[in-house]
Amino acid sequence: MQATIDNLKHTFPEKLNTYHIQHTNELYLEIDPINIQEFCIHLQKDLEGTLVSLFANDERQLNGNFALYYVWAIRRSGFFVVLKTQLKPDNPVFQSITTPIYAANLYEREIKDLFGLIPEGHPDPRDLCFHGNWPQDLYPLRKDFDTFNQPTHTKTIDDFQRVAGEGVYEIPVGPVHAGIIEPGHFRFSVAGEPIINLEARLHYVHKGIEKLAEGLSIDKCLYLSERISGDETFANSLAYCHAIEKIAGIELSPRAAYTRLVFAELERLTSHLGDLAGICVDVAYGFAAYQFRMLRGWCYILVEELAHSRFLRNINTPGGVRQNFLHNKEKQIIDAIARIKKELNETVKILKTNALFIDRIENTGILTINAARDLNTVGPPGRASGLHFDLRKNFPYSNYNLLDFQIPKHLNGDVNCRINVKIEECYISMEIILKTLELMPQGETIRRIGNLDPYQSALGYSEAPRGENIHWVMTGENNTIYRYKIRTPSFCNWPALCWAVNGNIVPDFPLINKSFNLSYAGNDL
Amino acid sequence: MKLLLYVFMQLVLVLLLAPLVDGIIKKIKAFSQKRKGPPLTQMYFDLYKLMKKDTVVSETASWVFRTAPYITFISTLLAFMFFPATVILHSISFQGDIILAIYLLGIGRFFMVLAGLDTGSTFGGMGSSREVMIAALIEPALIVVLITLGLIAGSTSIYDIMLLNLQGNSFILNPYSILLFAAIFLILLAETARIPVDDPSTHLELTMIHEAMLLEYSGKHLALMELASVIKQLLFITILANFFLPTGWLGSQATPMLSFLLALITYFFKVVCIALLIAIAEISTVKLRFFSVPNLAAISFALAFLGFMQFIILGR
Repeated sequence: MQATIDNLKHTFPEKLNTYHIQHTNELYLEIDPINIQEFCIHLQKDLEGTLVSLFANDERQLNGNFALYYVWAIRRSGFFVVLKTQLKPDNPVFQSITTPIYAANLYEREIKDLFGLIPEGHPDPRDLCFHGNWPQDLYPLRKDFDTFNQPTHTKTIDDFQRVAGEGVYEIPVGPVHAGIIEPGHFRFSVAGEPIINLEARLHYVHKGIEKLAEGLSIDKCLYLSERISGDETFANSLAYCHAIEKIAGIELSPRAAYTRLVFAELERLTSHLGDLAGICVDVAYGFAAYQFRMLRGWCYILVEELAHSRFLRNINTPGGVRQNFLHNKEKQIIDAIARIKKELNETVKILKTNALFIDRIENTGILTINAARDLNTVGPPGRASGLHFDLRKNFPYSNYNLLDFQIPKHLNGDVNCRINVKIEECYISMEIILKTLELMPQGETIRRIGNLDPYQSALGYSEAPRGENIHWVMTGENNTIYRYKIRTPSFCNWPALCWAVNGNIVPDFPLINKSFNLSYAGNDL
Repeated sequence: MKLLLYVFMQLVLVLLLAPLVDGIIKKIKAFSQKRKGPPLTQMYFDLYKLMKKDTVVSETASWVFRTAPYITFISTLLAFMFFPATVILHSISFQGDIILAIYLLGIGRFFMVLAGLDTGSTFGGMGSSREVMIAALIEPALIVVLITLGLIAGSTSIYDIMLLNLQGNSFILNPYSILLFAAIFLILLAETARIPVDDPSTHLELTMIHEAMLLEYSGKHLALMELASVIKQLLFITILANFFLPTGWLGSQATPMLSFLLALITYFFKVVCIALLIAIAEISTVKLRFFSVPNLAAISFALAFLGFMQFIILGR
């Protein structure tokens, strides 16, 4: 980290205003708005940084300005660089970095919608969260917006990207779909069967979670974080608790850290088995689909027996876990894992020897490594495209650094690779759980956090089943939340999906979509 | 009088048996997935429910949309009349009726495709376009198979072919017979929207072929369309059962009534066997990539053509 500070000092002798390091791996730099682009390009090109989050914060009550935070992860060295810059409320315009750094695209549009800060020079300044029915000058994440204010709907011009040409037509799908899935509108531009362009319009289930969090007490906000996305309950509450614990400056007890690790891996196992089932359903491979569903059912049963909640709610709490959930349950877990492993082995063997199935998934929906890198694709889709990183390895939390495990890496970036990554991760998760049970010491499971200082911030993160999950929490007065920025893996991966389907045929879209398995609720917030 | 009775019996038989066969296939598939599956009679309940329900018709739909279910249903049912379940149920037959039956199915498909396009919904259009593509690919194979069968029997009447198969006992053992059986089996999978080509149980509109055309239908119209599909399925199963696995109780000592019952039971048994075959094919394969469907059609055509050549070279 010191090398990075020296590098930045050397490169920008006059432009680096102040910096400080907090929570050992977060480097905060304060810079002027005019220098944003220069710093960002330097961080990306020379320091091998990745833009993992970009958000605004209404700090007018604190210092009279809006603040923008550019969170960069230096994955190789395992620390974050946060660029902070302040915007005057009378001229809320900032320089867009989307053209050189494409990963910033959706963040800047989101800031424009929710804060009314204008990214100048953004190549695609359309609304992201609003669908042309929200009043123009109302910005919900500003502090002066009342949460319970229901504005009258308006109708403004709202359009999709048009593709024109002979024989090109559009297929609108959704937002209401057949089957029980969440809402999202997909606009395909196709010529015959091949897809030329896909635009996904999401944010139909925008619930205003970040706004709701503001002013909540630390304890209550935990419940909110558990309800961001149903099947990532544990990953989200883990990231939230991680941030709070960093602010409180407490070290987890080993028992609590290992307990979290077991549940996090069980959630990953459950989620991946569900994904594999979904992929098999989409290619009409009923036998394998029901095998995977059965295995997922076994995971749910195990989790329910351990924690009395199939979706892993009410386990985490800032400072540890609520109870000694795994007390005397070791044998039960080991037995269940052995059973799942045996059945999974057999199913995978049958799956991988089905030539028709392999033919269907190979070279379908290829996401190239360059596209994956530019869009900051995270999680299994990133690892399938050759982006070999994982928060559990690169930014270890919750005792992951004490365990020895591998991260799968595949290079082709097609559905086949994503399936292989998920299958391998299932095995790795099971191994991690078994190792954890061996290593886990007895002891307390919770350490009380005291009152938190106001206006302290920290990045909490966890590797959710879908990929890296980064939360940023800033405390307010009286143990409340001032700002809670949630960046789920789905937010990063939706554009990657849209990119990966180009050139594929329409009937293959559901298969590619399922191989990414993105969350709508986790994206729409 | 006798003719009318036979037609009536054939009608009752097809209407009773066609939904049941679909239920059998579903049941076998469910067992492979460690499920119980819906009861065998589920489709009757579904049809009854749909018949009671209101029919919703899109405002943009023309008369084509409204009449297509009736035309499809009647033409499919009529086509089935030419395929007696047993030779005893011989009702109407004439030279060339096999060609007529196949193109009666063609009329049904034509109107189904038009109805898919008629409402102007996205999925209907996609389904129609895909259906026509598959139909165009699969038709040559079907015609070659039928012509070969006709050549073997020396007649293009379904009844004659069946009768001849019954008398020439060695038919099933002929190599070309096996080739033609395989060809028709592939055609059956493609024609009746079975798994390597289409997925009958999917909810994903974007991957649908047959179902996509029917998305706009509801109530009675939907019931007729679904009934037409299962009748068509039974028709192809009957082709396989009666042309390639000939059984009959024509010369037996039993009374006409008893031999008729025996014939029906053996027919039912053959149908179940072929349903089992279809279910196994569905369980062990996955849906083909859409542009791989021509390969399947090509295989079917090649098998049919090989059978044809073998007949020309080796003779009967």
